[in-house]
Amino acid sequence: MDTELILMQLFSGVALGAILVLTALGLSIIFGMLGVVNFAHGALFMVGAYAGLWVASLTGSFWWGLIVAPIMIGGFGMLIEYFLIRPLYGRSIDDPLLLTFGLSYVLVEGVRIVFGSDGIPFPTPSSLTGVVDLGVGFFPIYRIFVVGIVFLVVVLLWLGLEKTKFGLIVRAGARDPTMMKVLGIDISKVWLLVFGLGVGLASLGGVLSGPMRSVNPEMGALVLAEAFVVTVIGGLGSLVGSIVAGLLVGVVISMTALFAPEMATIVMFALMAVVLLIRPQGLFGKLA
Amino acid sequence: MTSPALAAPSHARAGKRAQFRSLVTRYRVPLSILALCLLPWLLPSKALAVNVLIYGVIAVGYNLLFGYTGLLSFGHAAFVGAGAYITGIAIGQFGVPWYLAVLLGVVGGALLAFIMGALSTRTRGIYFSMVTLALAQLVYYVALQASAWTGGENGLRGFTVSKIELLGFEINFLDPVNKYYVLMMFAALALWIVSRILNSPFGAAIEAIRENERRARTCGYDVERTKLLAFTLSGTICALGGTMSALHLAFVPLDSLHYLSSGMIVMMTLLGGASSFFGPFIGALVFLVMEDVFSLWTSHWQIIVGSVFVLFVLFLPKGIWGTFLTKVMR
Amino acid sequence: MNAPLLAVENIVVKFGGFIALQAVTTEFRPGRVTSIIGPNGAGKSTFFNVLSGVITPSSGSIRFKGEDLKGTKQHDFVHRGIARSYQITNIFPDLSVHENVRVAAQAGRARYNIWTNRNRLTELDDRADAALDAVGLVAKRDETAKFLAHGQQRALEIAIALISNPEVLLLDEPTAGMGPEETKEMVALLEKLAAERTILLVEHKMKMILGLSDRILVLHHGQLIADGSPRDIQTDPEVRRVYLGQNDGYA
Repeated sequence: MDTELILMQLFSGVALGAILVLTALGLSIIFGMLGVVNFAHGALFMVGAYAGLWVASLTGSFWWGLIVAPIMIGGFGMLIEYFLIRPLYGRSIDDPLLLTFGLSYVLVEGVRIVFGSDGIPFPTPSSLTGVVDLGVGFFPIYRIFVVGIVFLVVVLLWLGLEKTKFGLIVRAGARDPTMMKVLGIDISKVWLLVFGLGVGLASLGGVLSGPMRSVNPEMGALVLAEAFVVTVIGGLGSLVGSIVAGLLVGVVISMTALFAPEMATIVMFALMAVVLLIRPQGLFGKLA
Repeated sequence: MTSPALAAPSHARAGKRAQFRSLVTRYRVPLSILALCLLPWLLPSKALAVNVLIYGVIAVGYNLLFGYTGLLSFGHAAFVGAGAYITGIAIGQFGVPWYLAVLLGVVGGALLAFIMGALSTRTRGIYFSMVTLALAQLVYYVALQASAWTGGENGLRGFTVSKIELLGFEINFLDPVNKYYVLMMFAALALWIVSRILNSPFGAAIEAIRENERRARTCGYDVERTKLLAFTLSGTICALGGTMSALHLAFVPLDSLHYLSSGMIVMMTLLGGASSFFGPFIGALVFLVMEDVFSLWTSHWQIIVGSVFVLFVLFLPKGIWGTFLTKVMR
Repeated sequence: MNAPLLAVENIVVKFGGFIALQAVTTEFRPGRVTSIIGPNGAGKSTFFNVLSGVITPSSGSIRFKGEDLKGTKQHDFVHRGIARSYQITNIFPDLSVHENVRVAAQAGRARYNIWTNRNRLTELDDRADAALDAVGLVAKRDETAKFLAHGQQRALEIAIALISNPEVLLLDEPTAGMGPEETKEMVALLEKLAAERTILLVEHKMKMILGLSDRILVLHHGQLIADGSPRDIQTDPEVRRVYLGQNDGYA
């Protein structure tokens, strides 16, 4: 096994991990703020991919799809929060989970009705096809682009959370919702925005992953399981945990694929089981 | 569950309703067996009746954990599937007699439930649902890869049980009515076992944990261990449902292990009512009848089922039977 | 004097950088009512959580009847003989009053019995009824717990704690949220209970504490600053300064 191949596979793992980071971040932000685990997260990732494809085919440009679809689906997420999840606050923590699970059924079947049950290829934009020689090996340009975009999004998210008033509210609100009421901040607006943001991140992940795997109505199922694995490993509600665990899982999956391809998916679940045995609250999670 | 606690039975009707409730509770096993005996003659097809039987058992077993212990597992498809696969492999590849294959399936499912339970009950709250889902997906991908044993994506075939010997009689198992009543004995057994568990001190312990975990711990309950036992028992009953399904279909689809199958069990349980003994069975019945009816006029019946489920979570979280008990019978 | 029943030595509890208890050392002898007082945030609840196994102290030891409780899990404290109630009412809301107590009673031996019909375990029923009798709730035995009046729910909680026949009973503000009439009834109940077992009490109502306690411990900023009879405590200059001086201490 030569080092070039290993390096390439390592990088491919980082690109895969970058998508995982996006989905897990969305899941984690929503949970941290609203205390809701969004079981429709995978389905919304899938809907995002279809939306990206649809916008790209309407406008003839991948870039419009990349920008418009996450905003569109993020807005759709806000509608979900407002009409479906809001009535459940104050009830059992299981209720939003059950509701979003039912919703994922509806979304998957809805996409089947509109776009058909078969997978659709998502062409890589022509400006991003091909490979580039980085001295140590050839890397696909599109994957470098994905890593770059995710890096940018994470930095923006970090700046947004650390440097803006909205971010301050989100961080404080997650710790103490009653405090927000005392300060006269309308927490329900923050919930709306945070849910939209989380869903937007998932659908951005969907669009970005489109050219890397084909788009089909069932793709959300594996994505949801992957996002759960990453958040359990990283620690639910921890943004740093989502980033570290996302990259870790991506790299572990693709390195395993190099040596034992049939074990690639299995190994990530095994990794989660090991973390559960050693540190049930996740690598960056706090003890309840 | 045993003593219907009414705050103030102020008039005679309330008293009668309380009486009804306590009668239904006391005779829940004979009543359900009676209903099961009649079921195939009330439904449009015998195949549907067998399905209701199987998923009824699975949902009742699942509810031991969800409704009574208060743990929302999204991984029970793993135990249903384990029961089914082990039974199928035992018959098809090792020529084991059917009853032994059923036993092996149940024991194997129980073992898997114990392992998954030991891992997942270490976590709390919302984590539990995510972890059970992920661990069950691990089982799904293992079954996908171990195609030499499981048939991989195509599912497991080649273990048709056509005859069953029972108490010296040879029964034609391909006849749908015979099949129904043979499988019904397993269902009756499962219902009886679950009913006994619910009536036992352990049944009170899991309800106490559901009601107030902290208080239960302060009372001296080892909460983790109690949850693990509940998880294992629940998984065992689901594994029995899985072996029944293997005998019925002579086929185990890979999708039976997928978390969407777990979700289907959750939906059935909630539709019927998680807080009651009959609820899950009624939920399985309603879900499967809906599927039967809607799939006649659209292949996209899942969108209807999903929407109905969302509406139930929003407006009828106690499910059909649970709402009937609290709104009508109180 | 008899040997100490429960003894703590150099208990330290840290939450992150915050020190909730610093080097608390004391012991409790059988058959007395000891009250633990102190301003809000003094560490009273933390101290109770340590004594009942909810929190494992950062350092220090707890000995019960001479045995070190290090490594004992929380649920085993009650089996050893230390039971507690909580400051915020902590019962099984949807179970009947009788079931509330019976489920606590069966935690001793029958907790993993999955097969016997629990209605046939009449010994548990009798014990549950006896505990309900002790707190004056027999008449309410078949009511759903959440429909009881506040004072009755508090009494039910004590019945739940009593069922294991504990040698040490830790009661965290048993009269919290009670009116004068309910408080009086609770005090009468506590006096009755104190005849048979060792009671540790966290309370805010000073008049009640001074009348009921044989001994009072005063915590302040996680430190034990006074320990003595109600009379000693009332005249202790340090206590007067940090605690009784704030007049709101008197109920």
